[in-house]
Amino acid sequence: MSEHADRLLTLPAAAASASRSRPTPATLRLTAGLAILLLWEIVVRALAPAYVAKPSGVVMAIPHVIVDPVFLNATRITLGAVAQGLAIAIVAGTAIGLLIGRSVVADRMLRHYVNGFYAVPMIVILPLVTLWFGYSDAARLATIVFAALFSIIINVADGARSVPREYLEVANSFRSHRLRMMIEIVLPSSMPYFLAGLRLASGRALIGAVVAEFFAAIGGLGYFILYNSRTYHHNEAFVGVLLLAAFGVGFEIAVNVATRYFLPWYRRDEPAK
Amino acid sequence: MHRILSGRYLPFALSLIAGVALWELAGRNTSAAFMVPFSETMLRLWELAASGALAVQFLDSATLFITGFALALLIGMPFGLLLARLQSLRIALEPYIMVLYATPMVALIPFILSMMGFGFAPKVLVVFLFAIFPILYNTIEGARSIKPELIEVAQSFRSNEWALWREVIVPYTLPFTMTGVRQAVGRGLVGMVAAEFFLSSTGLGQAIMMSSQNFDTSAVFALILVIGLLGVGLMRLGLTIENRFARWRD
Repeated sequence: MSEHADRLLTLPAAAASASRSRPTPATLRLTAGLAILLLWEIVVRALAPAYVAKPSGVVMAIPHVIVDPVFLNATRITLGAVAQGLAIAIVAGTAIGLLIGRSVVADRMLRHYVNGFYAVPMIVILPLVTLWFGYSDAARLATIVFAALFSIIINVADGARSVPREYLEVANSFRSHRLRMMIEIVLPSSMPYFLAGLRLASGRALIGAVVAEFFAAIGGLGYFILYNSRTYHHNEAFVGVLLLAAFGVGFEIAVNVATRYFLPWYRRDEPAK
Repeated sequence: MHRILSGRYLPFALSLIAGVALWELAGRNTSAAFMVPFSETMLRLWELAASGALAVQFLDSATLFITGFALALLIGMPFGLLLARLQSLRIALEPYIMVLYATPMVALIPFILSMMGFGFAPKVLVVFLFAIFPILYNTIEGARSIKPELIEVAQSFRSNEWALWREVIVPYTLPFTMTGVRQAVGRGLVGMVAAEFFLSSTGLGQAIMMSSQNFDTSAVFALILVIGLLGVGLMRLGLTIENRFARWRD
């Protein structure tokens, strides 16, 4: 290799060595994660009583908790309730959202109520819900629906409002039926908004399920956490928290993937609110 | 008819009247333990306000909310901006902040209860935990929106650290931070009520629980209305602040 070529090569080589000295994102994240766990372990060992959850304890607890039928049953119950509540909220929320988004009158009549209920801290309805439904599964379901419904309505309405006018004009000039236009034009083109709403709603539904279980002492993952932490089994209880976190993150990722996979035409840098 | 209903204030007034009428009718036609008409709720609200109990409980709740929320702002905003400046730190901590943002924080309340007991501090911690992660999460989102070229150009013009913050980092991230602040207001309010329900009972949360246990349904409705309106008001305030800063976005 000539001297000339060698000199030409120094630039990329220097850049390469610079990037080698700078750690990759994965290394950075792994280091940070280990540092956080180590710090947690040290602080708890040094300062906190023995029952407090620490990483080593949680890891030791995982194998026996995840095969514990009580834990599995609690998870199944809570997730089932969340799925059921979300299904109700999706059907009702989409119907109301489409109505608000496409009808000025409905918008003016209902918008304030929807925004108002959305802003109400959902946890505050628990005393009322338990008064109405008793300390039962129905109370939890009602809380989940209340938690999830309004973010779906708001987002579907936003989506229905944003349908390009030309689409509807073309459909109109071909004398398309209103209901058909709703199902074939408005609904698909508000899908990205719906998914953004669903992402919010699923997070809120999960919180709704947990607070309802805390409040009404109904069996489920939230109650599992409450019971175990009250009996000073913090490590076991924390496995429940990890699972909840996994579901929270899982919903988020699932919706993002679904948006990219099913709606490849949707390109907006700003996620819909 | 259509034109009248698509105006601005009249439909709002009409829908408000219709809602109140519906509430009144529903309340009159069901058992008193189940639902209370609007008029009775208002009467009970007036009683609670006149006795001074409401003001005391409101102040209790407000102190808790403001303390926790202020701490979240004071820690969350500078830390978020620091993450915007220090790219490696941001990349390292990003996934953990995202996970904590998506975790239902309410699940940590039983741990806080058995470690810190009943007092003011654990409740402040709950509000703080509910409020800080939306602020951090959105600030990071803003930090990602800064093009690296902007910082490179600024640095190749020998911009000093102060100018870099003033001209690039803050203007680019603060609008996103404000979106986080708006979300944090809503979550912080949930945290406030959750702390008052599940930790030592005080404030508006305690008032609601006690009324519910005494089957004083009219007080439950009155207090839910108060907290609901508080939520709406704070959400409005948050939106106003967010929109003020949104103009900075390109």
